[in-house]
Amino acid sequence: MAGSSDSFDSAAASHRALRSIKQELDRHPIVTGTRGFPAGDFAKVVADLATERWGIDTDNPKLTARWFAGESQDARPEFSFQYSDTERDFGWHYHEQEHVEGWGHFQERTGESAYSYESYTFPSQNPAGLVWDVMSNLSSRV
Amino acid sequence: MTDSAGVEAWKEQTTAFDRIQSVASAVSQPQPVSYIAAEAHVAENTARDHLTRLVELNVLLRSDQDGTALYAPDPLHTRMQMLRDLLDEHDRDGLIQLKTSLQSQIEDWQEQYNTESPSELRNRAAETETAAQTREMRNIASDWELILYRLSIVEDAIENYNTYSKDFQLSA
Repeated sequence: MAGSSDSFDSAAASHRALRSIKQELDRHPIVTGTRGFPAGDFAKVVADLATERWGIDTDNPKLTARWFAGESQDARPEFSFQYSDTERDFGWHYHEQEHVEGWGHFQERTGESAYSYESYTFPSQNPAGLVWDVMSNLSSRV
Repeated sequence: MTDSAGVEAWKEQTTAFDRIQSVASAVSQPQPVSYIAAEAHVAENTARDHLTRLVELNVLLRSDQDGTALYAPDPLHTRMQMLRDLLDEHDRDGLIQLKTSLQSQIEDWQEQYNTESPSELRNRAAETETAAQTREMRNIASDWELILYRLSIVEDAIENYNTYSKDFQLSA
C-alpha cells in the first residue's frame, strides 16, 4: 500500500481523483476527448479542447491535469490544471512553491520566457467541482 | 449565495446524482452528508438519498463516527471499475504490453535516480540542493506510487483474464 499511513492508500486516492477529473472533463461541452490511464498517459489526464465553441480560434489547445492526494489522509492534496496551445502556456496550481505566498497560484508564460506567478485561491479541494471552476476560468483567460 | 459560472455550468450539464457520485468517489477520507452536499451543490436531503443508493450499489462504504454517517469510496469498487476499463480497452496481449510499458517506466526511474522505490526517492528528495529538484523528485515519487497501484490491477486483469472477460452471450 502506498503512502505513509497504514490505513491510507495515497496512490488509490490519487487514482480516484484523476478518474473523477477525467469523468468531469468528458462531461464538459468544450472537451472533445480525454486521455488518461489505461488509454494514454500513465499518471495524468489530458483533454483536447474545442475553444472555437467559445468563439476563440487556437491551435492544438489542451488541458493537462495532475493530482496527488498527499502522503497521509490529513495531508493537503497537490494538483495542477495546465492549459497549453501553440502560443500560450498557463494554469492553476496548488502545491508548495517559492514564487508567491501560499500554495494556490496561477502561472503563465509566452513562448520560452520564464513563468510569471500570482496567488490564486481555489474554492474547493474536491477534484470534481474544481474541473468546472478551472474550465470557467479558462474561458476568460483564453 | 449566487453560484459561480463554473458551478452553474456544472449544474446545467449534470444531474444531482452525477455530482454526488463524482464528489463522493473522489474524497480522500470519509466525509459526512453535509460536506458532499455542499461540494456537489445539492440539498442535504437529496444528497442523503443518493448516497444511500450508492452504498446499496457498493460504490460507496458507509461508516458511523459519533452518530454521524460518513461516506467514502469502496476500494473494491474502484478496483473493479479499473479492471473493467482495462478489459474494455485491451485484449490479453494488449494488457501484457501495458504491463511491460509500466514496468519499463519504473525501471527508467530506478536507473535515473539510482533508487529502488518511490519512498526511497521521496526520502532523497529532501536532500537535494534546489527547491525545483526537490519538487521534481517528489512528483516522480507520486507518479511512481500511482503506477505501482495501477500495475497491480493490470497484473490482476492478466492473471484472471479468462474469468473476467467471459462473454455471457457465448454461453447463453
